[in-house]
Amino acid sequence: MANETEAPYGMPEPSTVSWREGVDRSTAVVVMAFFASSVAWLLIGSALALAASIKLHSPGFLGEWAWLTFGRVRPAHLNTVIYGWGSMAGIGALLWLTARLCRVTLPFRLPLMVTCVLWNVAVAGGTWSILAGHGTSVEWLEFPYHWSFVFAGLFAILMFSTLTMFTRRKVSHIYVSQWYLLGSVLWFPFLYAQGNALIHGNLATGVVQASANWWFAHNVLGLWFTPIGLAAVYYLLPKVLGRPIHSYYLSILGFWTLALFYNWAGTHHLIGGPIPAWLVTVGTVGSVMMFIPVTTVAINHHMTTKGHFDKLRVSPTLRFIVFGAMSYTVVSFQGSLQALRTVNEVSHFTHYTVAHAHLGVYSFFSMVMFGSIYYIVPRLIGREWPSGALIKLHFWLTATGMVMYWVGLTWGGWFQGLEMNNPDIPFMDTVLMTVPYLWSRTVAGVLMTIGHVVFAVSLWLIFRPEARDIKGPTLFDPSAAVTGGEG
Amino acid sequence: MTLIYIFIFGSVLVFGITAVAGFVWAIRTGQMRNFSAGATSIFDDEEPVGTMTDTFPGAGTHADRDTKQEGRDSGQRD
Repeated sequence: MANETEAPYGMPEPSTVSWREGVDRSTAVVVMAFFASSVAWLLIGSALALAASIKLHSPGFLGEWAWLTFGRVRPAHLNTVIYGWGSMAGIGALLWLTARLCRVTLPFRLPLMVTCVLWNVAVAGGTWSILAGHGTSVEWLEFPYHWSFVFAGLFAILMFSTLTMFTRRKVSHIYVSQWYLLGSVLWFPFLYAQGNALIHGNLATGVVQASANWWFAHNVLGLWFTPIGLAAVYYLLPKVLGRPIHSYYLSILGFWTLALFYNWAGTHHLIGGPIPAWLVTVGTVGSVMMFIPVTTVAINHHMTTKGHFDKLRVSPTLRFIVFGAMSYTVVSFQGSLQALRTVNEVSHFTHYTVAHAHLGVYSFFSMVMFGSIYYIVPRLIGREWPSGALIKLHFWLTATGMVMYWVGLTWGGWFQGLEMNNPDIPFMDTVLMTVPYLWSRTVAGVLMTIGHVVFAVSLWLIFRPEARDIKGPTLFDPSAAVTGGEG
Repeated sequence: MTLIYIFIFGSVLVFGITAVAGFVWAIRTGQMRNFSAGATSIFDDEEPVGTMTDTFPGAGTHADRDTKQEGRDSGQRD
């Protein structure tokens, strides 16, 4: 049991384990199980993504197997990266961050381990069903409906564990990251239950089902991934740099405005669709109001890092986190603009939207999760990453791949939209016009996938017996620390 | 159909209400006071303001790291 200090600024007794170490170790088994599973799903999701991407410019690829046709591979990719990679990495970060911020050890470790196992079973079972041809065709909810009961139960366990830590917390002040984490873990399970009830329970059918679908799907990003990602950035950016957040007031303002505006935004996916105009207008207003929280986050992250960008060279975590935070700013402003009817009539139903989605889930959320895993794992198991070169390779492959992916599809998608709006251009000409851009997507996807393999190798090497020989994590080693400015 | 719209927008409202309720609770319990202290609440004597807590493995010489580590039992993990 850790020797936890009661006073927030208390000095730990010499020659005892610090409260931080005790808290970190208590989360080790559970959080590592979630991280390891998430990386496995990342590899599977990347393979499915590559297959889907290649099919778009070379339609015959793997075409002879029904299981690997585009209509199955593409939703299988989406669901493995959302529920497998993203959610499991996010849950690992959520549990670790909550334990650290509340300064309590992780409770209910056995139920949480069972949660991890069942989560894997549910993702595997759901993906299998999709590939077997039993997907539901409702985007973001393609798993057959019975798996939603499993996920709902697991979300309840997560919610209960997180709230238990929160009520046992040893600090009176609730840090901004904690607000975001509470938001994600309190709102998303209800959203998930309601989305499933409406859609799989056939309460919402036809056009109303589409409204419910996009209200749900957009909030997976807005109320689940975004708060966890921002919580990690708001904790790790100041921690790594050793500099408090530039304006704490703005960070709190950003959280509360996100809480008020984000869940209205989903219907912007249906601009031009056969739903009441006011429903779309609500979504557009909600999306444009997101300028407020996004601006606060952008100012804060930039001003906290300003003058310390040279630290990106020395910290693996910082590279990924800063890349992710910058992407958050770009993807959010882009998203607000895309919700305007004039922009949307060009960008809708094109590859532009696909680029935007990956900028959010990959460039922002996944890069932040990579950075978080690089920070968290050495502290959990008391070992340092075996190779800095592998981490750099991972960063450059994924960063280059992502930029290439976004530029290619944004550019190609915009022209695709303009051409599709022009009745003089035959549809097939537009399709052929996009082929070079689709090739650039596949090349970018290959780069990112190699990056993920490098990441998985790093994670495997840190558990090898040889890794023991490396002295404790540099993190707890002040000699490796660089002075972080005026403080 | 109307019932379903009520359900959807009712849920949206419930989300909004939980946010407002949380906000009121935060003000009542003093979370909105003393913002500058809040920003430093994640730092302490062990990991103070002004010290970086992350580097690439192998950054800095090993001798340097080992000496410093002996001086900090709490930092040693293995």
